[in-house]
Amino acid sequence: MTPTDEDLVVAFQSGDIPAFDQLVRRWDRKIQGVIYRLVGNHDEARDLSQEAFLKAYRALGTFKKEARFSSWLYQIAINATRDRLRRRRRRTDLSLDDVEEKGESSLRDGAPSALDLIESSDLSRVVAAAMAALPEEQREVVILKEYQGLTFPEIAETLDVPLSTVKTRLYRGLGQLRIRLERQGIRGGAAVPVPSA
Amino acid sequence: MDCEAIRDDMLDVLYGEGGEAAARRVEAHQATCGDCRREMADLRRLRADLSHWRLPESLLARPAAPARSRRLPPGLAAAAILILASTAGLGLAGAEVRYDHSGLSVRLGHGTDARSLADLERRHREELAALRAELAAVRPPDDRPLLRTVADMIRESESRQDEARLASLRVLQQRTETQRQYDLARMSAGLSYLDGKAGLQAARTTELVGHLLQASQQK
Repeated sequence: MTPTDEDLVVAFQSGDIPAFDQLVRRWDRKIQGVIYRLVGNHDEARDLSQEAFLKAYRALGTFKKEARFSSWLYQIAINATRDRLRRRRRRTDLSLDDVEEKGESSLRDGAPSALDLIESSDLSRVVAAAMAALPEEQREVVILKEYQGLTFPEIAETLDVPLSTVKTRLYRGLGQLRIRLERQGIRGGAAVPVPSA
Repeated sequence: MDCEAIRDDMLDVLYGEGGEAAARRVEAHQATCGDCRREMADLRRLRADLSHWRLPESLLARPAAPARSRRLPPGLAAAAILILASTAGLGLAGAEVRYDHSGLSVRLGHGTDARSLADLERRHREELAALRAELAAVRPPDDRPLLRTVADMIRESESRQDEARLASLRVLQQRTETQRQYDLARMSAGLSYLDGKAGLQAARTTELVGHLLQASQQK
């Protein structure tokens, strides 16, 4: 029988250090995924993911059993990402107008990596740019809900906010995304035809 | 129920979390509210658009399993077990298993008898002699150039330190001289002040005596 996350945590706390390896293997891709969507850069996502797991390793000894391990881990990852984005904002002091003009790449330190560009389709990039332009709080909720598939109570636990706040942020975030995608000519899964000049 | 109040239920239904009760409430509201019906349809389409945002393939790739948990293919595992068992068996039977530059060699027989031991000792002596000869053949490296370089470096370092010390002394001497000049100037100024004060006092006394003389003469 596959041990649950909580079983592995208990094992780790009892001295079974390799139990943490299992947790890493189980959650590494998901954590990297959520961080990538928040920062929009592959290398940074890997870097922050490692940072998050290192913090988790150090703090797992004091992890309380009443919390969900997944929510706790997401919380660590999101906090690490917030810190990084805050530092980045201090450097670039980027405005929303810049984002709209320059798209996804403007949220990054520099241009997206060649790998990112090759691997992303046009629609994928437009969605990423619209997502990058959302306020951080809304972006976190939309990503956790839409791409990580967390339930509303799990998101509330992860972000340590009331359930109603989660839903409000999601609703507003989705509204913003709809407007931005329509501006880019995307409406309901199909591109709006551009009138000829 | 107004549109604002149904919003949470709409989100629950949109993500399949609300259960039947929420679904019924949303359905009942949408039956009478065209705006919310359209909004729900828009949100479903939006979710379809959002699903196009893919992660890079490199992030989707499965991480390699750690080396220590890798398993040997069944054939190789069986072969390894067979080799280990055979080696243990040979050891118990007194055979000698060696692995050296010429490869793996197995010598069968009772290795504990006197002849085998004598052979073993002779071989060890030969190997030791060969190692000693090899060691003697290695000439000690000529370290004289290195020593010369080190001595030069030490001399240069000492010379630099001497220069630095002299420079510091010169600066210190200069500062002391400046301080001495300054102190002398202050002392001189103080004496002049005292001289001036004493002179003024004497002048006043002389003037006073003059007045007294004049007054006494007038009387």
